[in-house]
This record gives sequence, C-alpha cells and structure tokens, in this order.
Amino acid sequence: MIEIENLSKSFGAVQALSGLSLSALDGQVTGLIGPNGAGKTTAFRVVYGLLTPDSGSARVDGIDVATNRMAAQRHLGVLPDVRGLYPRLSAREHIRYFGQLHGSGGKALEQDIDELIERLGMQDFADRPAKGYSRGQELKVALGRALVHRPKNLILDEPTNGLDVMSSRAVRDLIDEMKAKGHCILLSSHIMSEVSLLCDKLVICAEGRLVAEGTPEQMRQETGAQDLEEVFVRILDRAGLLHAAHEMPARLVQGKGGEAA
Amino acid sequence: MTMGLMGALANGWARRLLTVFKKEMRDHLRDRRSLLLALIYPLLGPALVAGGLSLAGKTLQNDPASRTLTVPAVGLNYAPELASHLAANNIEAAPAPVTQEEREAAVREGRLPLILIVPESAQGHAEFTVDIITNLGQIDNLRATARLTDAIQSYNDALAAQRAQAAGLAGNYAHAVVMHKINVARDANMAVFFYNMMPPLVIFMIFLGGVHLAIDTTVGERERGSLEPLLLAPVERGGLLLGKALAALVFTAITTGVNLAAFKIFLELAVVNSATLVQPPAAAVFVGIFFVAMPLMAIAVALQMMVAVITRSMKEAQIYLGLLPLVPALPGMVLVFQPVAATNTSVLVPVFGQMTLIHQMVAEQTPSLAHLSMAALVTLVAAALIFLAAVKSFRREKMFVLG
Repeated sequence: MIEIENLSKSFGAVQALSGLSLSALDGQVTGLIGPNGAGKTTAFRVVYGLLTPDSGSARVDGIDVATNRMAAQRHLGVLPDVRGLYPRLSAREHIRYFGQLHGSGGKALEQDIDELIERLGMQDFADRPAKGYSRGQELKVALGRALVHRPKNLILDEPTNGLDVMSSRAVRDLIDEMKAKGHCILLSSHIMSEVSLLCDKLVICAEGRLVAEGTPEQMRQETGAQDLEEVFVRILDRAGLLHAAHEMPARLVQGKGGEAA
Repeated sequence: MTMGLMGALANGWARRLLTVFKKEMRDHLRDRRSLLLALIYPLLGPALVAGGLSLAGKTLQNDPASRTLTVPAVGLNYAPELASHLAANNIEAAPAPVTQEEREAAVREGRLPLILIVPESAQGHAEFTVDIITNLGQIDNLRATARLTDAIQSYNDALAAQRAQAAGLAGNYAHAVVMHKINVARDANMAVFFYNMMPPLVIFMIFLGGVHLAIDTTVGERERGSLEPLLLAPVERGGLLLGKALAALVFTAITTGVNLAAFKIFLELAVVNSATLVQPPAAAVFVGIFFVAMPLMAIAVALQMMVAVITRSMKEAQIYLGLLPLVPALPGMVLVFQPVAATNTSVLVPVFGQMTLIHQMVAEQTPSLAHLSMAALVTLVAAALIFLAAVKSFRREKMFVLG
C-alpha cells in the first residue's frame, strides 16, 4: 500500500505540490492523472525517496519514506519516466546489478533473472550490450530492474510512453498479472483508453493538489460523461482548473511558448 | 562482536559498496576511453622524456672534453703566444665572417657556436682585450664558451706567474686566491635533469587517470538518466559515491603503475648505449614512488568526485577536470629546475609534500620515515575532507533534479 498525505513541495518559486493526498491499495491499480506539470512525477519522486517534501509524508506499506528510506525502497519497484540504461552492460547485467543492490545474490538471483527474462520476453537480447536497444527493449530491461527484488508495490510513470502496440499490450498484461497477485500498483498516464482499461481507481490532480478521486464508474456517473477523456475535462472545468490543461496550446497560439507550471 | 562486524561486511553497506565498485569496474573495463586513459596516455610522457634524453646522450658523445674544439677566430695572428697556448689546449682556430654584424648574426642564428676576436691593437703588446661573441641560450655554446674562457684564464695565470718571478716575487703573487673546483654533480648532469622531469609528469597522470570514470559515473550517469533508477535502490548515498570513487582510484592506480613502469623501461633504453649518462633510478625507487604517491591518488579522485558532482553537465566537468592536473603540475615544473628535498614544512602541505618526497627519491636519496608518514597523513586527511564534501553535494536534490 502506498499512502501520500498532505504533501507539499516547491522548487524555488514553483509550487509543484500543494497538499496532495492519495492512497493506492493492494490488489488494485490506481491511476494518477492530470495535466502536464500537475505534480505527478514530483509526487512519485517523494514516494521513492528522491525528494524530501517541504511538509506532509509518504508511506510504503506503512513505512515512512522520510525516516526510513531504504526500508521503504525495498518494498517498492519503480519504472521511472526516463529508463536510463548503461550502454556497455547487457540486460542480464542490469537486472543482476539491481538484484545485488537489493541484497540478493548467488544461484537464487540467477534463477530470478532467468525467470524475468523469460516472463518479459528478453531472450533475444538479454546478453547483448544495451547500446542500440529499441524503446520496447529498454522498457523491458527497466521493468526487469524494477521487479527483480519482488516488490509488493509498483510505481509506473507513463509505462507505455513511446511504445509500439505489441510492447504496450505486453506491459498491460504484466500489470493485470501483478494486480491479480495482489500487488499495489500506482501509475500515471496520459492515455485515457489505457487508464480506463487498467485502473480500478482514479486520482485526478492539477496544480499539485487532488481534484477528484473514485472509480472510473463513479466518475462517469458523477460527470454524466461516458468517455474518460470527457470526464477528465469536465472535472477540471468544474474545479476551475481547465486553464491548466489548456494553457500550453493557448500559449503556443499566442506565440509565447512555455508550459504551465 | 567480530561476527557482527563480519555480518555487516557481508550483508550491509560494505556489500552494497562492493556491488557498485564491481559494476563500475566491469563497465569501464569495456570503455575504450577509460582504457585509453589508463593504458596508452601514461606512455606518452615517458616516451617524450626518454626520446629527449636519448638525443641529449648522442650530443654528449659527439662532444667529449678531450676532443678538439674549433673556434672561429679573428686576428689570432696579432697574439701568437695566446694562439699557441690555445692550440696546446686543443682549441683550433677557424675563419670567421668579416663584418661585426655578420659575426653577431651567425652566432645568434646558431650557424657558428662562438667567435673570438683579437683586435689589431694587440699586435706587439702583452696586455690587450679580446671579444668573445657567444649565445649562452644554447647548451653546446655554454660548453664551448667555458672551454675557451678557461683556456684564456690559464694563459693569464701562467703569464702572471712568470711576471711575478721576473720581478722577484712569489709565483702566486698575482693570484692570492686559487680556485679549485670540486664538481659533485653526477657525471653527465644532463641525464639527471631529464630524471627530474619525471615527478611533475607522474603527478600530472595521477590527476588524469581516473578522470573519465569520475565524470562518467556521476554527472554522466545523471545525463544518461540512469542516476534516478540507481538512487531507487536501497543504497546509502555515501556508500554509492565511495564505490564509484574506489573504481576511479583503481583506474588511477593502474595509470600510475603503467606510467612509472614506462618511465623505468623507456629511460633504461634511452641510456643503454651511453657510457657517460647516469643510469635512471633503480626499480625499487619506482616501486617506492608508487607507494608514496598513493595519498595523491586518493586526493586526485576526491577532487575529481567533488568537481563532478557539483557541475551541471559532463562538458562542464570535463573542462574543469582537464585543468585540474595543471594545478599540481605547475609547482612541479619549478621543482624540475630547482629540486627541493622534503622538509619539515613541505610535508605539511597536502600534495606538495609528496612532490618534494618524489623529487628526493628520484635523486636517489631515501626520505625519512617521519616525512613519509607525515605527508601521507596530511594528504589523506585532506582527501577525506574533500570526499565528505563531495558526498554532501551528492545528497542534494539538485544532483538529480535538473532545472
């Protein structure tokens, strides 16, 4: 279980998070959606111990990240937005490195790696250096790296971003499988069709705070819209935050450029 | 207690540190740039110095002291006694240009080593003035000029003694103080000068050996986007940076070892055919230098890590760290010309202490144990403090959040 409570974080003059709270339960897929700059990645980075919040707290399986970062990290697998591989190491060596950093080793680790390679379909490139991998192959390595210590909780930051149809489908199958096994999955995505397929619960945030939460069904009923994209727009509009979603195109039309904070 | 410690080593931070160290070693042993820096670069300095020494050795063999020195001269016929004295000292006269401008130009441009001019007014006189046109900017000329002036001096001395006796005075009447030069410089000083060039070059390589690794594993890791996934693993930030620093240290040690071995081998080869040149220091001296230089390796890596974690990009880090080796190399260059043995003060200055110690060792003097341990302690403490500052910077959020 992942819990975020009243989280605030600013970078200089930019308020990235202002009092965001949410929780993601075991055996569920929770989707965090919001316009660019809503604070999704910042919230994730607080949960996995990269950023210290100005106020509020984050807990993984009840372990406070701020006071016990390493213990919380052991319960957490993360697929960050940027995959970041080592060009001279193979897929197998990437996964082994992270397994060892998590304290695993020996035959048990090698068995886990073999299993992951098979499960993620990496047999063809597992022992080739990462330089020259396709985006789909990079994603698989990053997933293997995130799963090698068998975490109970998963954070996936735009898991299908830039992937082709087959790779996207493989990721979605994996998420379903993990959910069925009782894992807690928190993901962010801009692809509404994907969100409606995968998520049991939606958390909509904008400008660093929570705007709405509930099951997709509840949200449809509440807004009277069928299409999730329309649900998203109506909820933002109702909250008076539609400008946050529209800001970028509007600015581009005016020729000023830049992105909403 | 011991079991607890062993357990901590096997499962705790030491194991994680070792995992990071091993990964960086494996990664960079596959990296062409790291290998080039560790194995090929350290051959360049030794090749240059040995090449220079070999050339100098040939020059020396072409000019032994007993050989006839040819001096372009004008008007020696006006001073026949001086002329025969020079001839007796193996100095032979040769024709010289006619005008003064031509003479000076010929010497300035190196076409002639020097020119001796005896004025017409010397004819029939015992006392006269001679001019010597020389260019002391060239080592060959220094040698020729010294031989000519010594010969003229001995002519003067002999004449003075004759005159004193003719006047009924003591033979040494005109030169109360007799100079007797005792030259303790090792034979063929030239080689020693080249050996003195080693320490700054060795230190330069120490500050260069691990630089690619230091940049690539820190700011490079951030630029590739692999730092964020790495920081998701449950590893202490300090341990993470230390694992990386140890890998950089190993590459620095390899570079230094290759560098010292190349110096020993190349310099041996440079003097192998020379009977006059002093042999390079013994192999044991080079091994000793490696150990004395270990704290230097530590401080070099600490500085590299410090710079690498505070810079914003690999490009920026490369610029700063490309300049870093020059900082210790510059005072080192001064020591080439004015070698200073380690003193109680010099060993208290981090880096400088090792520099003076290494110079002392190259001169085949054994440094004192007190100096060795003091210098090592001071430099290691400085390295540790710099590394702690680097760890502090590595913990900043700015390290991985760009913008």
